[in-house]
Amino acid sequence: MEAQETMMGKGREAIEMIVDPGSFEENTVGGKSVAEEDYGPGAAVGTAKLDGKEVTIIASDGMSFNERFPVVYAGVIGMEEGYKMARSVYASLEADKDKPLDEKRALVLIVDTPGNGPGKVEEIFGMNKSTGAYQLALAEARLAGHPIVAMVIGRAVSGAFLCHGLQADNILSLDANFGTIIHVMPLTSVSRIIRKDLEVLEELSKDNPVFASGPRFFHTLGGVETLVETVEGMRPAIIEHIASIRKAKAEGKQDTLGPWGRGALGAERGGRALRPKVMDVMNKEFEAVADQYAPAR
Amino acid sequence: MSKWNDLQEHSFLESNARDRALGIVDDGTFTELAGPFDRLSSPHLELLGDAVAFDDGLVSGVGRIGKTPVFVVSQEGRFIGGSIGEVGGAKMANTIKLAIDFHDKLVADYPDLSEEEKPVLVISFETGGVRLHESNAGLLAHAEVMDLFQKARGKVPVISLIGSKVGCFGGMGFVAAATDVIIMSEFGRLGLTGPEVIEQEMGKEEFDSSDRALVFRTTGGRHKYIIGDANFLVADTIAAFREKVAELAPLPVAAFEEMRRVGSPETVERQVRGVALAAEMHPQDARDVWAKAGNDDPASLTDMPLAAFLGQVKRLSV
Repeated sequence: MEAQETMMGKGREAIEMIVDPGSFEENTVGGKSVAEEDYGPGAAVGTAKLDGKEVTIIASDGMSFNERFPVVYAGVIGMEEGYKMARSVYASLEADKDKPLDEKRALVLIVDTPGNGPGKVEEIFGMNKSTGAYQLALAEARLAGHPIVAMVIGRAVSGAFLCHGLQADNILSLDANFGTIIHVMPLTSVSRIIRKDLEVLEELSKDNPVFASGPRFFHTLGGVETLVETVEGMRPAIIEHIASIRKAKAEGKQDTLGPWGRGALGAERGGRALRPKVMDVMNKEFEAVADQYAPAR
Repeated sequence: MSKWNDLQEHSFLESNARDRALGIVDDGTFTELAGPFDRLSSPHLELLGDAVAFDDGLVSGVGRIGKTPVFVVSQEGRFIGGSIGEVGGAKMANTIKLAIDFHDKLVADYPDLSEEEKPVLVISFETGGVRLHESNAGLLAHAEVMDLFQKARGKVPVISLIGSKVGCFGGMGFVAAATDVIIMSEFGRLGLTGPEVIEQEMGKEEFDSSDRALVFRTTGGRHKYIIGDANFLVADTIAAFREKVAELAPLPVAAFEEMRRVGSPETVERQVRGVALAAEMHPQDARDVWAKAGNDDPASLTDMPLAAFLGQVKRLSV
């Protein structure tokens, strides 16, 4: 696989590569403003056309710096960013609330984020609420029928990937030759913290993707549906996934999508084999006692 | 005296996950699901040559408080910091799934089902989030939990209990934020980024992670209560947490929606006003925010007895 120029820091360029030429209107969703111009600069949000249809774009902007919250730069999601992203989702829900399922606009998340805002002010005011708010909004939109596709172009790191990406119906990632990073932390840091030799971890991660770093391992775990091999391939892949997600939703197969769907995918690809067994044991044990917890009549 | 009676006056802070689970629900009603006898331990830890726990550091099950079925998840900080791996993550996610499915079944089977007969979910947090030994699986489990919380909306209220040693940080910090209601003790801590990481990021002058008082002012129960991130602040006993859960459990699900901090366009707008205040104030210390909330002598709030604190504290409103 030939190394390609990285897309890290190029969230805005990725928007232009993906949507219909010149169609991106920033900070507006459903004809309403979702943010002032300089609000939450770490996230670029708005409306664009994709294959002629309106979509909501929520992209990391790795080149920006938030002057009000100096820990927010290089694509970090800060408090403003999380709420700005959540607002874009709620505006999408509101705009299409009376539309039939097949007309609910898709949301395209362009993911290139190294983390959630790690500061003192962030902890005092509760950064956890901001990232939580965005995730709940995405889950609500997904369950309401909006197709949501995440496209990882650079970094999708730990809690920031949970925030911006892991609530999507489907997740696509540029392949490893773009230097794409998907992990909780680099294996070198894991090795230091859990006190295991790096060589041992590297060897183990060849067969066991739960330790390892990178889009391919996430693919095996069912955490990424599809790897995309070229930047030109992003647009058609996203269009295709939106279509297949719509079809699944129309058929009532919501459980094949999103985090729950990726659970099944993880078992299928052999990456998370014990998860279904654990759930099966619990289900059987609960069934045996469920009557004790039902109302006495 | 039974074990359950004995547990009630135990310090919540000092209690292990199983005792918290047993003591929160009515005496003798707790059934553990995927408990230690099922020996579902982490294959990944085994591969690394590390010790495993037969419950993977997470107790899951179901009990009752009065007429309310109470599904319980309780995390064990003594086992690798309460971290979430594949097995514990699956247990946590599936407990929520079972609660939702049981709700749907009861609603279908009992046309006269009352509000207090509908299930609730209680999560006793003690965790720093993802278990690094099996980080990818832990991460994916967090996403499943967030999805299931949204699926539980309007059906199963989710109640967080935070008052254990490790606190509630990392990914589990926003998992807790996404629940309906948060009950803390003053010894509980809730946040996203742990103190050591903030120090590493901002420097020791800005944030000294070895300064216990500073750490508690920033993420501790009293601060989280003032700022509105904790709905209730209770004493450090299992009985005190249980009493608050018992008071909430029979409430209709709509009442829980009103306690939420995030999860709707309206709550997001309220939080946006809070962030604007953060940008305007740039507090050096949580005490600056306490003063802003109308507390004339913020320094005194740290050490006064809990009852006095609750009697006089003013909470931030934005």
